[in-house]
Amino acid sequence: MFDLEFVRGPLHDGALAVMTIVYIIRLYWLTRFMAGKERQAPTGRGDTNSRKGFIYSWGNVGMPWAMESTRTKLFLYFQFVIFHLGVTAAILLMFSISFYFKDTPIPLPLMLAFRIIIGAAFVVGVIRIIRRIGSKYIRAISSPDDHFSLWLLTAWFLFAYMAAANNVANGEWKLLTFFIMGSVFLVYVPFSKISHYLYYPFTRYYLGKSLGRRGVFPIKRFR
Amino acid sequence: MAKERSYKAQKVIDRMGKKLNRQIVGSLVACVHCGNCTDSCHYVLANPGDPTYAPAYKADKIRSIFKRHFDWTGRLFPWWVHAKSLYTDEDLEELKDTVFGKCTNCRRCTINCPMGVDLATFNRMARGLLVSVGVMPEGVSVVSKDQWEIGNQMGVLKEDYIDTLEWLTEEMQMEDPKSPGIPIDSMEADVVYSINPREVKYDPRTISDAAIIFNAAGEKWTMPAEDWDMTNFGLFSGDDDLGGGVARRLFEKVVAIKGKKLVISECGHGYRSTRCEGPNWAKQDVSFPMESSVITMLEYIKSGKIKVDKSKNPGKFTFHDSCNNARSCGLTEEPRELLRLVCDDFQEMYPNRAENFCCTGGGGAMSMSEYTPRRLKSGKVKADQLKATGAEIVVTSCHNCVDGLTDLIKHYKLDMKVTQLVNLVANALVIEKPVEVPVEEVAAPVEVTPTEVEALVLKGYKILVADDEPDFVTFVSTVLEDNGAEVVKAYDGNQALEMARKEKPDLMTLDITMPGKSGIEVFEILRSDDELASIPVCIMTGKPELRQLIYERAVKPPEGYVDKPIDEDSIVLNIRKILELDKGKVK
Repeated sequence: MFDLEFVRGPLHDGALAVMTIVYIIRLYWLTRFMAGKERQAPTGRGDTNSRKGFIYSWGNVGMPWAMESTRTKLFLYFQFVIFHLGVTAAILLMFSISFYFKDTPIPLPLMLAFRIIIGAAFVVGVIRIIRRIGSKYIRAISSPDDHFSLWLLTAWFLFAYMAAANNVANGEWKLLTFFIMGSVFLVYVPFSKISHYLYYPFTRYYLGKSLGRRGVFPIKRFR
Repeated sequence: MAKERSYKAQKVIDRMGKKLNRQIVGSLVACVHCGNCTDSCHYVLANPGDPTYAPAYKADKIRSIFKRHFDWTGRLFPWWVHAKSLYTDEDLEELKDTVFGKCTNCRRCTINCPMGVDLATFNRMARGLLVSVGVMPEGVSVVSKDQWEIGNQMGVLKEDYIDTLEWLTEEMQMEDPKSPGIPIDSMEADVVYSINPREVKYDPRTISDAAIIFNAAGEKWTMPAEDWDMTNFGLFSGDDDLGGGVARRLFEKVVAIKGKKLVISECGHGYRSTRCEGPNWAKQDVSFPMESSVITMLEYIKSGKIKVDKSKNPGKFTFHDSCNNARSCGLTEEPRELLRLVCDDFQEMYPNRAENFCCTGGGGAMSMSEYTPRRLKSGKVKADQLKATGAEIVVTSCHNCVDGLTDLIKHYKLDMKVTQLVNLVANALVIEKPVEVPVEEVAAPVEVTPTEVEALVLKGYKILVADDEPDFVTFVSTVLEDNGAEVVKAYDGNQALEMARKEKPDLMTLDITMPGKSGIEVFEILRSDDELASIPVCIMTGKPELRQLIYERAVKPPEGYVDKPIDEDSIVLNIRKILELDKGKVK
């Protein structure tokens, strides 16, 4: 039903186009809501302001020491880092095969780099699945979308790992599955929790701007 | 067939659409259910194993409604993303239990959310939606009503407020005849001082302490005669109209008396509501500066306007950051700097500043007695924090925290006291007295020991204590007897009436919930009886939500009202105030 040419080309491009269009609509929808106006004069410490606040807030993702919730659970934080690096690597792998290495194998060092990152992300995916099912706190807040998104990505990592060699002779099905799942992923993303990265800049910007103006961000901590 | 929806549920959904702004929508769509916020909440830590307290779980109660009605995935595939609508009034009650009873809007989960989801903000929005259809805890309704109608959240009448300020001025002038006391409504003052009504009702010492400090600094200051309440129940109830109305009243008052700066007494939610959120709710840019009295007092010391002697405040101190001050206004360093100037032994509490745990009295929790057991249980985290400091005195810059912490200290039997910076600064003040010229003959002063002075305070008064809790009767009676009063006791409504008729007390303390005739019935009978109507009554109750039942009677309101728990000082202060104001004399 699908051949490699099709899944690497029209299917992949189509999925990408759908995702882009839906993203644009989604952003338009979000910006249609008016932003609340802050009239208060700055409070708090004089060494910070709105600008410092939102820069700190955006940079929060790379500062595990900044929040108690990451500082005290570094294992979870590193899972987060590996998992998201895995997503980035798998997307890059998809693009690399579609646009640069259509008919040539991926160079060995690059392939190994992809496999190490994506393989680690797969392991993290499995740990996350176990946590989502095993922890009563996480289970209580998990919707079918949460479960499906995690399963989808973890399975995608598995096939990305297998497809990283880009070797048709060694099993075209691996590549086919990787690309078909990737396309499903691209189309599904804007409708699911996976689209959180689209909102991240907004939520952290507004929180950081407000708490910077109020002298709360960057958080000062003394032990 | 479409499921039928109640009128109130429909209104909540309709109004949610109008309340959504970009910040709130961002927070509603961004949660990835990672669970990182879970351990940041004191309710979760005190209730291990119960996921219904987890911030993300609580947030989903609101998020599910948003998704069902405003987000496309939830509209198309509700079951897939746990989108859920509201249909019945029971659904609203369930939501009320979560947004009022399981969250103090302390914002600790917000600063611990990797995505920057601000649960406290949309939890407040949900409270506001429920309030708009009349679904709220009784206490929230009572307090909001008072703030709308009387102008302050404890229903303090203007004459009582002015009486209190005048009484305090008299007390100050008894100590120092040259004291200017408390100026009221002075025009063009450099400082307009606004307070929490709790100070008038339960803790007038904080007002006189502030007055002593302002006067010692030579400040040109005043207090407004009306519209003086800097607290704002709109923050807790989520009612932006109330929030805007209350803030506007205070702002307009400062402008009317041409005040140059508004100083806000130590109160976390008051500071946040007036200084930060007030201009937003009132949709008004404020033309004068506003600051916390903590900053004012610190500036007085640093600039040499007042001198303090830290040895006057012995003991080991720690500081509790109010959530509103620390996590929403960045007021963390000034209180510490001030505290270090007025005490010797300061021990930091951990975690602190923006990461501090809530006192559990925030978010209006102190006025929602139906959730008290839950609140006290969740206070275990705070109690452990307090205990770990080894301090004898916990200082805080928030009236809600004073009450919340006092409750916890009592509940967890911690050997600690709670105080505020204003009390410590006033106590540490060094006031240089003018050199007195010696006179040849001075009458020998009558030697009165401090114990005797205290004992004289209520001497000659007969007070009837009516309460069905024997322990409480014993406690109050002991305090009153120690201060010289003659005490008569009653343990139910009928006995209270009988004793009132027989003993003709000078004052009566009255519990609301009692067997036989309730306190409300007793009060109404007293007021309607010509012989007994003039007995001043001080209501002492653990159910503040029942207060309106007393005030709604078509009889003269009680002379005093005190919420339990109550400490020794408050009992004496309140009783003295009623007796002196009512009779205009001291026996």
